[in-house]
Amino acid sequence: MNIIERMIAHKANKESVKVGEEVSVKVDLAIAHDVTGPLAIDQFLKIGVNQVFDKNKVVFVIDHNIPCSSEASRVQHRTIQEFKENFGVKVYGRSEGVIHQVIMEEKLYKKGDIVVGADSHTCTAGAHGAIAIPLGSTEIAAVMALGELDMEVPETYLINIEGELQPGVYGKDIILYVIGKFGTNGFTDKAVIFGGETITSLPYEEKMTISNMMIEMGAMIGYIDQGDEEIGKVKETYHIKAQDLKPVAACPSSPGNVKPIAEIQGRKIVQGVIGSCTNGRFSDMKIAAEILKGRKVAEGVNLIVVPASKNILEKMEEEGLTKIFRDAGAVVTNPGCGPCFGAHQGLLSKGDVAISTTNRNFPGRMGHKEAEVYLASPRTVAESAVQGCITHPGTVVSLEG
Amino acid sequence: MEKIKGNAFLLNENVDTDQILPGYAMSYPVEELKKVTLRGSIISDFPERVNPGDIILAEHNFGCGSSREQAPVALKSSGVGAVIAKSFARIFRRNAINIGLPVITCDAIDTIKAEMNPKDEFEVDILAGIITNVTIQKQYPLNPLSQTTLETLQAGGLINKVRAKLMERGAI
Repeated sequence: MNIIERMIAHKANKESVKVGEEVSVKVDLAIAHDVTGPLAIDQFLKIGVNQVFDKNKVVFVIDHNIPCSSEASRVQHRTIQEFKENFGVKVYGRSEGVIHQVIMEEKLYKKGDIVVGADSHTCTAGAHGAIAIPLGSTEIAAVMALGELDMEVPETYLINIEGELQPGVYGKDIILYVIGKFGTNGFTDKAVIFGGETITSLPYEEKMTISNMMIEMGAMIGYIDQGDEEIGKVKETYHIKAQDLKPVAACPSSPGNVKPIAEIQGRKIVQGVIGSCTNGRFSDMKIAAEILKGRKVAEGVNLIVVPASKNILEKMEEEGLTKIFRDAGAVVTNPGCGPCFGAHQGLLSKGDVAISTTNRNFPGRMGHKEAEVYLASPRTVAESAVQGCITHPGTVVSLEG
Repeated sequence: MEKIKGNAFLLNENVDTDQILPGYAMSYPVEELKKVTLRGSIISDFPERVNPGDIILAEHNFGCGSSREQAPVALKSSGVGAVIAKSFARIFRRNAINIGLPVITCDAIDTIKAEMNPKDEFEVDILAGIITNVTIQKQYPLNPLSQTTLETLQAGGLINKVRAKLMERGAI
């Protein structure tokens, strides 16, 4: 058994498991947010059970529409608050941050745990060695009632990256490159491990950027090698040299349409977004602030900065980053998912072009279906915002500096 | 299980959940989801044209993207009887089955499309694993569903299966 299979076997209370086998695993944490949670609650109530499996392991985070973007979104918040009153579950409802960041900061899971979430980016927890599986609302309702999940044991693939990254290349460029190489359905129903010295030596923030986007290649489980345990036998291993990786962007309108920045630079933009559960961590903000310090966002460009959590926002304030962003002409919002999923805070109109550190650029993702969204690293977005067009990292501030 | 009868809507590859049901509509009450279903796709007039029992014929990776269950709920509440595609994204496929919307893979999509006319009537027999173009009287095989998937569909969705399990345990 490989590392993924060993963890699944452990949680299924079995000596061993085989690829393809259907098993039932104990769940350590079930999460949902304000736009998937209410549907899960409706379904849970239909079951007719009078308690959740463990009220400390069922967690709701209000992050998508906060503050409410409509009267209907207010109803969703109320549904969650009422569920908390009746069933005693945990709710983070004061813009504490985006669900994946909040559960990490609050240490609600640990290595080897099974985390299930009604959000496709639940795989983010794979950065810290959890088996994190994204589900829909009905399946979360089932888990809330049963405390277990029926799953099949997936085939495991290993993506091994060795060597030193070039200056200006970040975790975001690594994951975009891999999605571009294998496609948005490259690993449907599979488990994927990112390993190799390049990966294991990255700061945890960059690891979270990588695990966050593993769903964009269809993966069932996205896992980052923790470097402390033998990975074991996998279906196939792919080798990538870190030196060969360049700054890249996912071009409209798929996370799999990846090109080097050098090929698309110069494209005029009207919006930049720095943040989200993919790239809204403190290190991302620091990189962006270094570019924006003493500079201005280009005329005609809206730059929106979205910290992934309240803790990150507080640190940004302590270290003067929010002032740097505001002085440059950017809008710093409260922590949340606003601009990323297209309900409020930064919608685009027909023909608009934006560059964003978020995780998706499907047609209509950020407003009109004929708007164009490019996905890139915080550094690339910050430099592009200053220049008013897609810009290669190192243009505004030297990569050596 | 009853056979599904209706016309076919054709969709392309990588139809993502934003195209099926946009993010802002995730707050809508369920009965309003059908107003925006597939508005973001190449058949943006879908809500005006769909009739109960209609089927969707799609290419690879249907339903990629978000875990939003509102996407299959929107299709189901629009009256869609089944989605037949070359392949499905994982979460979408599970969500659809969990709410009792049949989603089935089929390797004959290209042939079906080549041989059909826009107004042809289709019939899907899930248990037999066959889709028939009734107008031209031709049958095509669907890929078999797993036992678990069939059980969930026959139970009318996952919630009914969970209820049965909890009743067995005496928990409800």
